[in-house]
Amino acid sequence: MKKLYSNKLHILIFLLPALILFCGVLIAPIGASVYYSFFKWNGIGAKTFIGLANYKELFTSNAIGFLKALRNSLLLAGLSVFLQLPLALALALTLGKKIKGERLFLSVYFMPVLISTVVIGQLWLKIYNPDYGILNVFLRAIGRSDWTRIWLGDKKAALGAVFVPTLWQYVGYHMLLLYAGVKSVPSELREAAMLDGASDSQVNRYIVLPYIKPIIRISVIFAVTGSLKSFDLIYVLTNGGPLHATEVPSTLMISMLFLRNRYGMGSTIAVLLILLCFGFALLISAIFKEED
Amino acid sequence: MKKLLALLLALCMVVGLAACGQQAAAPAAAPAAAPADSGSAQKTLTLWCIATESDANRPGYEKAIAEFEAAHPDIKIEWEAFENESYKTKIKAAMNDPETLPDIFFTWSGAFLGDFAEAGTAYCVDEAYKPFAADLPEVMLQNSTYGGHHYAIPLTYNIVALFANMDLLAEAGWDHVPETYEDLCACCDALLEKGIIPFGCAGKETWCVTEYLEPIIEKTIGYEELGKIFAGEATWNDPAIADAVTTFQDMINKGYFDPAGIALGNDEVKANFIAGKTAFYQNGSWNCGEVNDQVANAQVALFPVMDSSKATYGQVIGGPSDSLAVSAYCKDPELAAAVAFELGRGICHYGYLAGSGLPAWTPDYDTSAVKPLVSDVAAIVSASDGMVLFGDTAMSADPANTYLDYVSQVYGCEIDGEGFVAGLTNDLG
Repeated sequence: MKKLYSNKLHILIFLLPALILFCGVLIAPIGASVYYSFFKWNGIGAKTFIGLANYKELFTSNAIGFLKALRNSLLLAGLSVFLQLPLALALALTLGKKIKGERLFLSVYFMPVLISTVVIGQLWLKIYNPDYGILNVFLRAIGRSDWTRIWLGDKKAALGAVFVPTLWQYVGYHMLLLYAGVKSVPSELREAAMLDGASDSQVNRYIVLPYIKPIIRISVIFAVTGSLKSFDLIYVLTNGGPLHATEVPSTLMISMLFLRNRYGMGSTIAVLLILLCFGFALLISAIFKEED
Repeated sequence: MKKLLALLLALCMVVGLAACGQQAAAPAAAPAAAPADSGSAQKTLTLWCIATESDANRPGYEKAIAEFEAAHPDIKIEWEAFENESYKTKIKAAMNDPETLPDIFFTWSGAFLGDFAEAGTAYCVDEAYKPFAADLPEVMLQNSTYGGHHYAIPLTYNIVALFANMDLLAEAGWDHVPETYEDLCACCDALLEKGIIPFGCAGKETWCVTEYLEPIIEKTIGYEELGKIFAGEATWNDPAIADAVTTFQDMINKGYFDPAGIALGNDEVKANFIAGKTAFYQNGSWNCGEVNDQVANAQVALFPVMDSSKATYGQVIGGPSDSLAVSAYCKDPELAAAVAFELGRGICHYGYLAGSGLPAWTPDYDTSAVKPLVSDVAAIVSASDGMVLFGDTAMSADPANTYLDYVSQVYGCEIDGEGFVAGLTNDLG
């Protein structure tokens, strides 16, 4: 058996099915996107090779608005890292202290992750409805009618209104990741620190956080790449509107591919999204490594 | 020996996987030879459309398909309905992978179908049309004819109509739908005084905004000029178009439109009209059935003339657009085309009676049950002076979406009439 494992040809042959699957499902589509990004193509007719013209247009055309969409995504990524993750961490640290009803709270906070995004979208559409939505009804009830808005139709309010449910939905997801990390901290370490007179916050700061740093890194990568790829909830709530105020690269890509029949341009956005996600994942890993 | 055995095992695994792959591909290839011996077996044809539960065309599809299957027990229609906007995405995605295309699919005529016809994914129905020519005037196929060949079967046809809730108008002291712009403004002012919102328009679906803007432009510059612009034969650079946009924005700024409309979809805006929240609703005549049945005292009319030197009241936006097409990749396109014509006739028949549009097919049945609002629209069309196809249908996908972008900016008052004209002139010519 040992001999069998030492033969590289055997290893290759046994790995081949998985390798073919991996290449077919992941590498080939990426390759195809890169290939199509060099063409002007409506998706069903003949293709015309145009080199890097799509890339150039993407960064220079105001009509496409890619930079604005990218800015929205990066803003979401920033909010995810500096708002969503701290909240998730706070919840994880609190629940990790074996509080009463720990499992119930875990389930409640994790529930939005389990619910279909379309359902969540419909739910928040109702919450934001300008006439009967609970948000405006509440504001009117407390005498702040001046604060009421057409939340998803007002260019200034729409982006924030879309970000709230997007961030809310995945707090539970990050909380669960971090909670698992918090629970894996050996109790001896905590107890030793407590015996030395460390307070709860000191235990968290000097014992728990350093211990779960690899998980925090994963969470940050997931939060940032997830924000860059964000699509479903925005599509349901505003589809990038009003007036492109909530446009993100993914909604722009769908618009290019299926509304404008610009498959070359849509593929270009897809390629840039992949590069951005990889780039940010590497950057975040590098930052955490440097800190280590 | 062990080495050889290991290699043989690995080879068996790879060959096995390859064989699995062949097995998976087999069903797609097998039916190609099926037509010769499939006469006795029941055939199944797939159909995609946009007649969802909330769509006005739904009853027409249900009845037509049920009737067809009863008359042709050897053919089963497996149909699926998708929401309008998501359908556009779905059908275009399917065009990239013809194996996923249904045998028969709903399409809009004009440039939308033109892309499919040009790419060879839509089947030419010239031959299949011949037996039906007596019942379906060829003029009804003009929007789905490319290079002299027909590529789709029209169902009903529609125009942009102005629906009015006469009970609400009566509250404001109006017993008829205003026929001049000045009267319309006076009526809207009176409605506002009574606390009634005159219009609702779904900003979330930009095509709904064009249902307001295009008639105003048409009634300002005339249908011939607008038709040329949509066809790319004339420029957008016309000050009269800027004036039309200004008129539309004046109406918005005067509060004639429900401000919440910008965040709403068409179904919600229509529901508001039906519920009596807004007095007018300007949208496709396919809504006649629903409005007829659900608004106690409704009337239908057209948007008034803005410039009588160029336009007349009878000029309308619309025409035959809703159609069925056949996939060029389906197993038996001849059969599918014949079935599509039969279904098209049935959908038109029941759609007309249900009030979801006017008949592209010559009615050979009792039309006494046609709903009053549909009859009114039919009378409007018969007295029509000219017709221009909906802008986003007439233009191909990219320019159509550029145009829609500018329309949404107009509705959001991000640009004025001059900005609209300058932008479109720059981007589309």
